[in-house]
Amino acid sequence: MANTESLENVVLELRRGVIVLAALSQLSTEQYGYSLLKQLSDQGLEVDQGTLYPLLRRLETQGLLESVWKLEEARPRRYYIISAEGKKILPKLKKEWADIVSVMKKLLA
Amino acid sequence: MKLINRYVNEVGKNLPLLKGREDIEKELRSTLEDMLEERAQKAGRPADEAMEIELLKEYGSPQKVAMSYNPQPYLIGPRIFPTFLFVLKIVIPIVVIVLLVLTGIRAVTDSPFMGADFVKIIGNGLAGIVSAAITAAGYIVVIFAILERVLPDSEIDDLRTDTDWNPAELANEPDPDSVKRGDLIAEIAFTFVGLAILNLYPEILGMSFFSDGDFFFVPMFSDIFLKFIPWINAVFLAEIVLDIFLLRNAVWTTTTRAAKVIIEGASLALAIVFVRTTDLIGFTAESFANSPFTPEQAEKFVNIANISITIGMIVVVIIISIELIKAVIGLVRSLNRK
Repeated sequence: MANTESLENVVLELRRGVIVLAALSQLSTEQYGYSLLKQLSDQGLEVDQGTLYPLLRRLETQGLLESVWKLEEARPRRYYIISAEGKKILPKLKKEWADIVSVMKKLLA
Repeated sequence: MKLINRYVNEVGKNLPLLKGREDIEKELRSTLEDMLEERAQKAGRPADEAMEIELLKEYGSPQKVAMSYNPQPYLIGPRIFPTFLFVLKIVIPIVVIVLLVLTGIRAVTDSPFMGADFVKIIGNGLAGIVSAAITAAGYIVVIFAILERVLPDSEIDDLRTDTDWNPAELANEPDPDSVKRGDLIAEIAFTFVGLAILNLYPEILGMSFFSDGDFFFVPMFSDIFLKFIPWINAVFLAEIVLDIFLLRNAVWTTTTRAAKVIIEGASLALAIVFVRTTDLIGFTAESFANSPFTPEQAEKFVNIANISITIGMIVVVIIISIELIKAVIGLVRSLNRK
């Protein structure tokens, strides 16, 4: 029981680290929170709503995302898109990720 | 949708006081409506209350959802927690020491240094110290909780005590053979006071009281105890001689460690003899015959005094045993280093 809990916590921490990169990478075209959640899920990355929405707000506060409210299907939706600042750091984050993957591959080989 | 509205309101109530609360509620409502619509489509029927309940249960309690938007889920964050501890460790001992001194002064000046008034002053003083320490800690927590929320990051960095440190200033590794002069001086002083009281002023160890204009004194220890005084003197003197020798030489040697073991062993043997010997205590019901106590009160008091002194002696045996173990460990390690 304790082992399962520890494993879940470690997996959660591992995922938490990559959600920023995953979200930024998918927001070159504007999307609202729920559509982004489904898109990530469809590609195999399950993210909890309670993690994604606060994260999107934080990234917007940091200037990496921009958002705008739009009225669609009689329902207002908040659309997010990567900002100019976000576009600048995304390639650096991608390189950082590639380096980590490369190192981890070596370590885990 | 009524449940979704109630749910969003509940989340809103639990959101931290940050700007954009309405924005969060609006986005949450929109997301829940999207999710409900999707479920209704999958089920092939219009959304109903059961579907809403299922969705909201899966989404999580309003409190949990609200907390996920809280950028500061702690009272005092990790950035200023070390400074908080630093301040706490300075303020609380100062408060305790100042109040201890004040209590001591009150006990000396406002009471005859014995009896109910004395115990009352000490009891009130100690209760006051605990209360003051808790209050001081509470104020510090409140101040730091406010600082955590109002100070900008740059100022919080200025508060940190761990940013400007130099490895060269780290304390030297303690030399296992160096002596702690402060401990030795304190030990010499207390042992000397003990010797002086036992040999010069044994009359102050007991109970004194006035009754009907007459002064009564009942000694705490019996004549049987007094026969042990030469042995106590021998142990105390040996302790003082060893401590003075250590003060002069500043380091422990195998010889001084062995001497320490012998002295602690002798102290322990003496303390065990005290615990096992009956009639060491001078308080008896008869000794209080002329006191203001009734015979029943005197008997009760004698019982309590005997039990208290026996417990005290057992504590002394435990303390000396620990000291003896430490001395033996010190001696063994000293021999191993050679």
